[in-house]
Amino acid sequence: MSRLVRAELIRLVRRRTFVVMAAGSLLLSVVATVAVFSSAQTTGTVTRQGGTTLAILEGHGGGTEAFAVGASFTGFLVFVTFIALIATEFSGGTFRALLLRDPRRARVLVGKLIGILIVAAATVALAEVLTFLVSLALAPAYDISTSGWFSIESVGAALSNYATVLAGVVGWAIYGTMLAVIFRSAPVALAVGFAWAGPFENIVSRSWGAGYRLFPGQVLDSLIEGGTAELGLARAAVTAVLYAAIAGAVALILVSRRDVTA
Amino acid sequence: MTSPALSVSGLTKRYGNRTVVDNLSIELPRGVVAGFVGPNGAGKTTTMAMLLGLVRPSGGHAEVLGRPIRNPASYLARVGALIENPAFYPSLTGAENLRMFATVAGHDPAPVAALLDDVGLGGRGDDPFRDYSLGMKQRLGIAAARLGDPELLILDEPSNGLDPQGVREMRSLIAGLAGSGRTVLVSSHDLSELEQVCDWLILIETGRSLYQGPTRALLDGVVEGLAVVPRRRDDQWVLRELLVARGHAVALHDDRLLVDVDGWDVNELAASVNQAAFDAGMVLVELSPLRTSLEDQYLSMVQGGAR
Repeated sequence: MSRLVRAELIRLVRRRTFVVMAAGSLLLSVVATVAVFSSAQTTGTVTRQGGTTLAILEGHGGGTEAFAVGASFTGFLVFVTFIALIATEFSGGTFRALLLRDPRRARVLVGKLIGILIVAAATVALAEVLTFLVSLALAPAYDISTSGWFSIESVGAALSNYATVLAGVVGWAIYGTMLAVIFRSAPVALAVGFAWAGPFENIVSRSWGAGYRLFPGQVLDSLIEGGTAELGLARAAVTAVLYAAIAGAVALILVSRRDVTA
Repeated sequence: MTSPALSVSGLTKRYGNRTVVDNLSIELPRGVVAGFVGPNGAGKTTTMAMLLGLVRPSGGHAEVLGRPIRNPASYLARVGALIENPAFYPSLTGAENLRMFATVAGHDPAPVAALLDDVGLGGRGDDPFRDYSLGMKQRLGIAAARLGDPELLILDEPSNGLDPQGVREMRSLIAGLAGSGRTVLVSSHDLSELEQVCDWLILIETGRSLYQGPTRALLDGVVEGLAVVPRRRDDQWVLRELLVARGHAVALHDDRLLVDVDGWDVNELAASVNQAAFDAGMVLVELSPLRTSLEDQYLSMVQGGAR
């Protein structure tokens, strides 16, 4: 397994990947920080989904609040990225080429997934650090006190934010991988994934409240957001683990049993 | 006793009602360069994919290097393959691709530079794969197949899509893979290409085996006649009359007398022609068998049924 992970890292850890990763993280940091700071309300108890308050921003988790809010919009991006990366392996024949070197198919798929997730985890960490630094730089302009951002509790809040975002990323990654394995074609898998997790889930959930608690995309978004009014963090985590297990099993069974003809 | 490189018995692959490989049996000795010949759609790629663990057989049994194909992990480390088309990561360079695949297989990536040199990509190893021409991609595919110095190489149509110069280069590359006890199985529908590099042939059609054995045995088995050229051009007509008088069917074509085998043993026929020339005081500068080309032989087999 470690060979496959290392091979995936050889492929991904490149200057170009780092530039894209850093640029994307910086853009997310700036946009999220400006959006969160400028929309923060002076009073009230609004949820994270609906915005934030100055009290929250000046609290222990204030330094990474913009990261947590910004990350809630990246789930779908992770989803389509994984669909594209894995489906292209099938349609481009590189998955077949890998199997000629290691025929244990489930191992190859899992090793590849772990390799990409390591890069994703590093990107999330970079995004959180950059968002903290951007928040620190912009805080004076919005009259936000940063004295509470350098405590042990703030480190705990940052780690908690990181963990929920990363868990959501892993969930979206497995979900995207399943679609990529099912369709083995990036355009088809992207079209299906985009239609389902985008318009379908959101439109249905607006008229059917249970959709927020049941649809995989909504559950994963709730997880990344650290829980929402419709679905608490604990329940989102349990449901997400269940969905990830099902999606992972479907992907592994299909990849192990199907003929590799492309 | 050493097991054959490949031992295939009754191998079958069906997709729904369509039988792609039909009860195929092959035994390939070690150390040969074998041509796997058949028209497009004959089942060559599917057979190779089954041998490499990519496609599950619908029936039959096969062993690669003495190991059953139901467990490809037990033999794939000793097999190098290029199947369908060379698949690499477009953004990585040729050398990076090779290093990545070497890492997956657990091979030492150190010989990558030497492998690139061997296939003529020494100066282009640091270029991205997406910038390679088709011929360069095929050569990189050969280099990748050679990672880990495998005992058996399985190459699926390595000359596909190449121009004549590329085909010639690929032929010399394949010829260079022989030796050191390595076995090479190379598929193609271009018979003349394989005739020149393969010492063993497996001919199939619509998933069935037509012939398997040494190339020489196949070609030697069908000698159509003898080409005879006397040193003095004027002797052609005299010699022709003499041979006709001996009961041989003789034609003149491009300054050569073509003597039909016509039921004779080839060696006896050669002796008879030589004797006639000697008795008439002529010196022959050519007395050689006229063999059927592999293409003609293959077509006659396809039209005449399995052998």
